[in-house]
Amino acid sequence: MTAATAEFCRQHKLSEDVESDLNLVLEELFVNSIRHGGCQGVEHAAEAQFTMRPDGVHLEYADRGAEFDLTQAPARDLTATLAERAMGGLGIHLIRQIMRDIEYHRLGGWNRIRMRRPIPAEGT
Amino acid sequence: MIESKQETRGGWLVVAVKGRADAEAADELEAALRSAIDQHSKVAADLSALDYISSAGLRAVLQAARAAQPKEVEFAVCGMSAPVKKVFDMSGMHQLLTIHGELPC
Repeated sequence: MTAATAEFCRQHKLSEDVESDLNLVLEELFVNSIRHGGCQGVEHAAEAQFTMRPDGVHLEYADRGAEFDLTQAPARDLTATLAERAMGGLGIHLIRQIMRDIEYHRLGGWNRIRMRRPIPAEGT
Repeated sequence: MIESKQETRGGWLVVAVKGRADAEAADELEAALRSAIDQHSKVAADLSALDYISSAGLRAVLQAARAAQPKEVEFAVCGMSAPVKKVFDMSGMHQLLTIHGELPC
């Protein structure tokens, strides 16, 4: 997965910063599919496609896991202390920091997510 | 892939971490940090040779910081590379981890 991302970034002359963001977002999505979507051991359980457009890199990600709408997940409380802070939700928080225009659809047994990494990055 | 090695420097036990702190490596990272916390009263994680961190890696660092609290072990993170610092900043973990003044790295 990281090799394909690196190749896409080379083709479109994208910075290391963009490549690092895309790798992170893909890992977070994939780990969610495996750990929470029940995709462990499922063949062809997830797919991802990057497209370069004038407003940034568009990502379409899909998995065959349990229905999960990432856009409806609660926001993290960043003011909580170390002891209080729940360990879950950090991956989704990072995705939201990096990506914009996040859309979710459930279609034919697949979770389908579209999102955009703005180029240049927009302030968070 | 993650590697770590321990070294004592200026009163701190420094755990130098190298590689990628992703979902696969997170347990190993947490175990390395916890083992240092069990051995010493001042532990620093030197992340200068860490190229990448995801939420799983962050969680490992947070769990280590949590484990240090009841033992009254000082735990600090230092020497972050630009991509790793960016993820720490986005996570809001700077507010949670005490960064001490005089660190060995």
